[in-house]
Amino acid sequence: MKKKIILSTFVVGFIGLNVLAFCGFYVAKADTKLFNKSSQIILVRDGNKTTVTMSNDFDGDVKDFAMVVPVPTILQREDIRVSEAALFNKLDDYSGPRLVEYYDQNPCEIRVQEYMDMSVDMAMPTSINMESVKVKRNKELGVTVEATYDVEEYDILILSAKKSAGLKTWLTENGYKIPHSAEEVLEPYIKDNLKFFVVKVDLEKLDEMSGVGNVRKYIDDPSMNSARTLRPLQITYESPKFMLPIRLGMANSNGDQDMIVYAFSKEGRVECTNYRTTKIPTNKNVPLFVRDKFGKFYVDLFDKAHSRENKEAIFLEYAWNVSPQMSGVKCDPCVGPPPIFADFQKAGVNWAINSNNQASGQVFFTRLHVRYSRETHPQDLLFHVTPNKEHFQARYILTNPAQGDLSCDEGQLYCAQLVKNRANELDNLHDLTSWNTSQYKGYVQEYYKKIKDKSIMNKVEQDRGQVVPGFDSDYIDPNKGLKIGILSSVVVLMLLMFFRLRLNSIKRKVA
Amino acid sequence: MQSTESIYQTREKTNLLKSIFNDARHIQIIYLSLFLIYGVSSLSWDITVEKIVVVVGSTLLTQLLWIGITGAKLSSLKSALITSLGLCLILQSGSLLTLGLAGFLAISAKFLLRVKGKHLFNPANFGIIASIVLFQDAWISPGQWGSDTLFLLCLTLMGCIVLHKIGRLETTVVFLGSLFLMEYLRTIVYQGWEMDVLWHKFSSGTLLLFAFFMITDPMTIPNSKKARMIWALILAGATFLLSTRMQIYTAPIWVIFFITPITVLLDKVLPGVKFEWNKSTN
Repeated sequence: MKKKIILSTFVVGFIGLNVLAFCGFYVAKADTKLFNKSSQIILVRDGNKTTVTMSNDFDGDVKDFAMVVPVPTILQREDIRVSEAALFNKLDDYSGPRLVEYYDQNPCEIRVQEYMDMSVDMAMPTSINMESVKVKRNKELGVTVEATYDVEEYDILILSAKKSAGLKTWLTENGYKIPHSAEEVLEPYIKDNLKFFVVKVDLEKLDEMSGVGNVRKYIDDPSMNSARTLRPLQITYESPKFMLPIRLGMANSNGDQDMIVYAFSKEGRVECTNYRTTKIPTNKNVPLFVRDKFGKFYVDLFDKAHSRENKEAIFLEYAWNVSPQMSGVKCDPCVGPPPIFADFQKAGVNWAINSNNQASGQVFFTRLHVRYSRETHPQDLLFHVTPNKEHFQARYILTNPAQGDLSCDEGQLYCAQLVKNRANELDNLHDLTSWNTSQYKGYVQEYYKKIKDKSIMNKVEQDRGQVVPGFDSDYIDPNKGLKIGILSSVVVLMLLMFFRLRLNSIKRKVA
Repeated sequence: MQSTESIYQTREKTNLLKSIFNDARHIQIIYLSLFLIYGVSSLSWDITVEKIVVVVGSTLLTQLLWIGITGAKLSSLKSALITSLGLCLILQSGSLLTLGLAGFLAISAKFLLRVKGKHLFNPANFGIIASIVLFQDAWISPGQWGSDTLFLLCLTLMGCIVLHKIGRLETTVVFLGSLFLMEYLRTIVYQGWEMDVLWHKFSSGTLLLFAFFMITDPMTIPNSKKARMIWALILAGATFLLSTRMQIYTAPIWVIFFITPITVLLDKVLPGVKFEWNKSTN
């Protein structure tokens, strides 16, 4: 039986929007319908060491699942682990775009203030059957099986190849059908000395682990075999290459693919070096009704921002110092608990804690949102770690109007201000999402009607009252002493030179 | 009477324009300022007015101090302004102190590190490397320019005009040409990527800015034309190796710093007439 390899890339379930993305490809039966969503990746970079955790976004049957990921080195058994899908959920909840809600005080009544947070639910998502390996045939094809591992429910092969044609034939002979479009990218990867990390699910082991083996004898329900329940795989390698090979997964896809990258580093933000990394528009006051449509709001906001950047830029959605020893807030507002020791460990951040179980190193977290396609992103994504520790969140602000009677003078001025603020909120909404805001006239008129003397509209200034709070930062310059030291030594040199030149000119005059 | 006056005024205007365009530094200042405005307005860079003021201020002030000490020409402030604009365009840091020091060190190095009356390092380059290496809170974002074709074309065209004016066009042509050839052979011929992969590599604002406005600084590159071509070839080779073998995507900026001994050597082996800004203006 032949299996068709469907190419997809890092795929992210994105607010009900089905988009796809991954740096490997998935295998499914020829007739299996694949639902490409979006991918999620955790990248941990420490010097030249990279740990990548790949979420499962394959929506077919477990037995049809296979994944091929180009990797820079031949991975050892200890370099491959199985992680938990819950980790992605946690990071997503923590770092997703958020709404923050403020309540206006009634200027005519006693002041009460509360706030409430909301977050966007990002759907979360992330296996091969190897036949017996014929060494002789492999040699003919130029394919070497560098290693084979059984990692919990997964069967893993590390392949190296000399020619893409050989690799393609090998995969075909071993039961996999590669789409024509994938061949053209296999060759450059082989020439770039990359190895191929090939994964499939060991069905017996999976049944054994899940304890459904005997249930299956009595109930034949295919939905029990959904690959969606598969756990994410994590790999670690040492290489100066800090990249995500998106091209392989692109080959079979039409249109844009989405990928969320959760990156951890010691120094600061992670950014793309060969595409522009830019901030998603943030900290804007938006109308109250956005609360009920936040998912669509953010999808449209992202669409617009992405189009404005010629569909090329990579968007920063979150950046924060999440070091365990950091005393300041780790989000503002928090929509999910910040990652803790256990999460760092699961993600592969092994410097956060020392052998005495004490917080030891700095951990900086970055969330990047990539939407790519063959046309706009011909090159694989290359990253680097920067010392940029500035905090950032995708945050949108709702303001609840004051309640009660607003007929006092202060209250009337408040209404006039609110009318102006609400008009601004609608303008912001239009700028961010291109939504047609003329249908929301009532939103502005609501408080206009409460104004008895309409001429007070001219008495209030624009923007008063709509405060946009900044992001808290705890940055303390560790090299301040060194900087002052260098500054003063160069100044001393300057003075020395000045006096020497003076002395010389005096000497010359005397002579 | 009136017509004579207007002729006189027009002549004065033409003379003013001439004097502006006669000094390549003026054109360079205009271009670099335009790039900075483009970055801040269209590319929403993080650089704030505060940061720009600190960099430009510290650079000009340092230059003034050194003019006071050494008695250099006041017109050298133009070069310092170019240095400060270069720093604003390339160097990033969250710390104002680092940015101020980058400008201060860039100019100071120009006066302190000299061989035969010629400063060793490109000041902006020195400021960038020094602050990245010493302070650990500065960095370069090679992707910050995006790859907007129109902008890149403008950058190239403007670069060519300046280089033609100072007579250093061959350095950039050899550098970009040989780097392109090496990348072509590796990416297209050997690895088999499509042509758009290669184009994307070269449609980098940072690379073009290096090629047109930094490696061509006439004061810190070899004096003779032949030496400059050999120098550009070495620069391209080293950049190619660093970016492909060690994945350093800001390679040219590091190479240009460490190539200094070769510059001195080339100046000795293939001597040429030292560049002077004023000469080019006259």
